[in-house]
Amino acid sequence: MSVHSHTTTHTGFDYMANTGQEAQDRDACGILLALAIMVLLTLCQYFGLY
Amino acid sequence: MPEIDSIPYARTRTSFFSAMYGYGEILPGLLAMLFISVFANNLPGVPNPFTLENLFEWLSGVVGPINHTPLFQILNANFVWNPLLLGLLVGNCFGVPDSWKRGLSLIHILMPLGIIMLAPHFMIGHAFKLGLVPMLLCVLALLGTAGLTLFLVRLFKLDDRHGAIIAGGLCTGDPHACVILMPLIKAKGGQVANATACVIGFGLVAMVVMPSMAAWFGLPQTAFGLAAVLGVGNGAQAMSAAFAYGYEAGRYAGWFDVGRHVIMPAGFLFVFCITFLRKLRHKDDPRVLATRGIERFPIWLGVFIFCWGLTCLHLFREPAHHAIFTMVKWDFSLAAAALGLSLSWRDILAPGLKGLAITAIAGTLRMLVLLAVVALCVKTGLLPK
Repeated sequence: MSVHSHTTTHTGFDYMANTGQEAQDRDACGILLALAIMVLLTLCQYFGLY
Repeated sequence: MPEIDSIPYARTRTSFFSAMYGYGEILPGLLAMLFISVFANNLPGVPNPFTLENLFEWLSGVVGPINHTPLFQILNANFVWNPLLLGLLVGNCFGVPDSWKRGLSLIHILMPLGIIMLAPHFMIGHAFKLGLVPMLLCVLALLGTAGLTLFLVRLFKLDDRHGAIIAGGLCTGDPHACVILMPLIKAKGGQVANATACVIGFGLVAMVVMPSMAAWFGLPQTAFGLAAVLGVGNGAQAMSAAFAYGYEAGRYAGWFDVGRHVIMPAGFLFVFCITFLRKLRHKDDPRVLATRGIERFPIWLGVFIFCWGLTCLHLFREPAHHAIFTMVKWDFSLAAAALGLSLSWRDILAPGLKGLAITAIAGTLRMLVLLAVVALCVKTGLLPK
């Protein structure tokens, strides 16, 4: 298997690889952050903060 | 003591927040993304005049507008492609140090984050002001183009990941959709960049050809405004083609563009669903690669659809919608910088010219059918003369 030097460290960590539990956790973090930002900005509007 | 990179994720995991790693580990990569983004785009809150965006704007001014449209908008320079280009240059000229790679892996958090936050941008209610027939044409053009492209991909035996990205970009008329589809299709970065180049490249040709073809069909200015939006390429290319046909056509293209824009999510959802179902039906077929690795419908995509529904109910009103979109710009700029750094020129050229040929065939067929249908609608009075 070829190793992409732009994405893979000498220890084998590939930053573009996204599989398994790690991928699920990344998705969960993304969802949580997106909802937090959207709720915060929307509530700020509804409470007349901008 | 083993290096942190070599320890399997499962052994260091304590909760799902473990996917964000430690602050010290991600800082170099995060700073790399930040600096590339800040020097690529005029990001809200950053008063940096030395950006690629400003350089392109200045060069567009030097060249002068092409049919009332700036050159670099026609070439699709925007908040995704500027950092991608800069990341590509940095990565290929100086390489990517190992210390950056933990931080750059945040791209996989930034992608679903940005796509979910895009939902307030697509307010369907705005588009129905265009009228039922133009909206129906927008939907049919979107689904028809996606279906036709996916069919050609199978016919010509193109890698289905590459083909699905082309289908998404071509049917939505927005090369952003190529990047949005990347985590859904599990496409390679090189395939995404290549597919985008195909869609933009075809758009440049269509921009020149379509006005002449429309004249042959004898389309009125109003109707060509709609046809250009649905049949050319990105918004700026459509605008330039319409202004080439006539000033009124250009103004109408601006009016109709909202119809294409608000149903964009339906385009990439359609492409994802078709490829995902195909993968489920051909689980053991080694030629079916698109969406491989995705076992069930992604939760974050469900969250996006839910938020899109809330948007259509006008939950995110004006200032909040703009504030959220500002965050999307930041998010996609950072993610595109990481994507650009991951690519080599060879990765982009590796998929070859087959994708371009399929884009050209699908795009040309779409143009011909669209012009014929729009002409028919004008003749029958479904569209105004």
